[in-house]
Amino acid sequence: MIITNNLTKKYGDFTALDQLELSVKEGEIYCLLGANGAGKTTTINLLLGFIEPTSGSAFINQLNVQENTLETKRFLAYIPENLMLYPSLSALENLDYFSGIGGEDLNKNQLKGFLEEAGLQSDAFHKRIASFSKGMRQKVGIAIALAKDAKVLLLDEPTSGLDPKASNEFGHLLQKLRGKGVATLMATHDLFRAKEVATHIGIMKDGQLKQEFVAADITLSQLEKAYLETMEYKTIVA
Amino acid sequence: MIRKTINKELKELFRDGRVRTSIFIVLLLLGVAVWISSRQYQQTNADYAAAKVSERAVWENQGEKNPHSAAHYGTYAFKPKYPLSLVDQGVDKYVGTSIFLEAHKRNEAEFSAATDQTGLARFGDLTPDFILLFIIPLLIVLLGNNAFTKERELGTYTLLKSAGAKGWKIVLGKWTALFLPVLIITVLLLILAGLVLSNLSDYGVFQWSSLTAMGVVFLVYYSVFTNLVLWVSYMAKRSGISLVISLSLWIIACLAAPKAASNIAEARHPYPTRQEFAANVLKDKDAGLDGHNPWSKEAKLLEEQVLTEYKVDSLQQLPFNFSAYLAQKGEEHEAEVYFKHYNYLKEQYDNQSGTYRSLALLSPFLPTRFLSMAIAQTDYATHWDFSDAAEKYRIATQAFLNNNTAQNTRYGERGYKASADFWQKLPQFEYEPPTLGQILENNRSNLNTLGLWTLFSFALLFFTTKKI
Repeated sequence: MIITNNLTKKYGDFTALDQLELSVKEGEIYCLLGANGAGKTTTINLLLGFIEPTSGSAFINQLNVQENTLETKRFLAYIPENLMLYPSLSALENLDYFSGIGGEDLNKNQLKGFLEEAGLQSDAFHKRIASFSKGMRQKVGIAIALAKDAKVLLLDEPTSGLDPKASNEFGHLLQKLRGKGVATLMATHDLFRAKEVATHIGIMKDGQLKQEFVAADITLSQLEKAYLETMEYKTIVA
Repeated sequence: MIRKTINKELKELFRDGRVRTSIFIVLLLLGVAVWISSRQYQQTNADYAAAKVSERAVWENQGEKNPHSAAHYGTYAFKPKYPLSLVDQGVDKYVGTSIFLEAHKRNEAEFSAATDQTGLARFGDLTPDFILLFIIPLLIVLLGNNAFTKERELGTYTLLKSAGAKGWKIVLGKWTALFLPVLIITVLLLILAGLVLSNLSDYGVFQWSSLTAMGVVFLVYYSVFTNLVLWVSYMAKRSGISLVISLSLWIIACLAAPKAASNIAEARHPYPTRQEFAANVLKDKDAGLDGHNPWSKEAKLLEEQVLTEYKVDSLQQLPFNFSAYLAQKGEEHEAEVYFKHYNYLKEQYDNQSGTYRSLALLSPFLPTRFLSMAIAQTDYATHWDFSDAAEKYRIATQAFLNNNTAQNTRYGERGYKASADFWQKLPQFEYEPPTLGQILENNRSNLNTLGLWTLFSFALLFFTTKKI
């Protein structure tokens, strides 16, 4: 579903992403860990076609992103760190619009069904987004992905700023999507949540993918240790 | 996607209290403007009808009188107020409503509404054309300045991009949502004006086709503004910047450019002062035949020519009264002089209009203003046309009166009086203004310029925003 081949992005002399080789298959959740500036968001922006790679290529559902920017977006949904929706519109109206511009024309009951599936309480369906918490907005974001029947989900720090309950709920939603065969790439700082939800974990530093793990093969403390070593926080580890 | 975007944009617009208030204010102003204008229109037309009847009655009831005395006594040509002046009053207020028609002299139109007003007139009037030309474009600026910048500021722009939305569809959706309220307001105004005018059928022939043409011109004008405002919003980083740039465009297009164009046109092709004009006319008149001076060189020359032509030795032997003949020839000479000098004024006006038209590339306001006034028959061109028609009527009236004297008297005969029923034989002055087809034909360059603005602004918007 998601493949990158030698994907590189340079800004002048600065290399934001260096020959990234990545593969996220159907039903996998791949968490990219790394400090700020490690290249996580650059990877997501390249997969979204927001920026052009300096070299290498990225594929979504076997389509080259750079050559088929608009087509690849039919298969993916994106939830940024702060999912902002139209504050004067209700959850239902936002979902109707964003699924609509993605090409879906759904009736009210279908839309309500997706909001329900995303875990939003029914009394919030008709409320304006302006009154929503971040967690509630993220749920609408998931509903958009569900309504769009997205094959690929790109998440950029989605649990940042969420309270533990909301973060946990969000994790469950990702698992639900995984069950539907969605390939998820999530950039995060949250080791705990990554270990909880991911099938695969990668640690990035200075634009390079330094280490990769199958999530089931390591414990949280092993992951933490590997992360800190990669970040060269040796004094803290010792 | 376009329908969804339109729905979304309209919901956002109408849920914003500021937008609702702005639209309410514009609608209120429109209602008041139409009400004020229709009252003025009815009053002016009632005055026009009464003045026309009473002036004709005065003319017809002169009793027995010498025709040349009647020529000096004169009469009036009244300029009708046309139905669409209710929407666009154009220059009507400043150019006068009636022309005094008398012997030997072409007079300018007088009794303009502006001369009856106090200094407060400088504040301007609340008229439908003010709303249509100035306020609705301002409304477009207020409603549309943040069409794209709000997406960036809210953060929804990223989501739009990631959703695979096609740029032109988003733009078309936003464009339609912005244009729709303007379209509804404009159509409402025109229907209201049409209904008012249809019910005032006593005053001139109202044609829906002219009103529709005017509506189309204004809607095209608004489409240009919509394009420019959306383009600015797309290019600007923040709503504040977008608002300032859009407002600046409105100020330049609607306020600065017309005034600058007016100054440039006046500087390049100045009108003579009233004193210069009068002096030039007098000089040319003096250089030719004076109908009241049989001893002048020109009169003596004419006398010789007439005697030779009729093969007689004295003026008394002529089959008509030479004095009246001389008066008529004098009239013809004076008429030529007036046509020459008024044609010069008209040329200057045409030159000024040409300068205006070339400067119309600077602002879509200029061609729209010209077209609106022309369709409403309240522009200078219609006034000139009326003024020329009145002058032709004056010349024909003088010929009618002089010929009567020439045919009914002999040279040297004094005290002739035409019969009391003679005056009724003079046909009434009727003025037929240019038709809609002629107006559009005469304003082809304005139509072209507005068309260019439309094409340019659409191209600018859709090519720039091709890739959201």
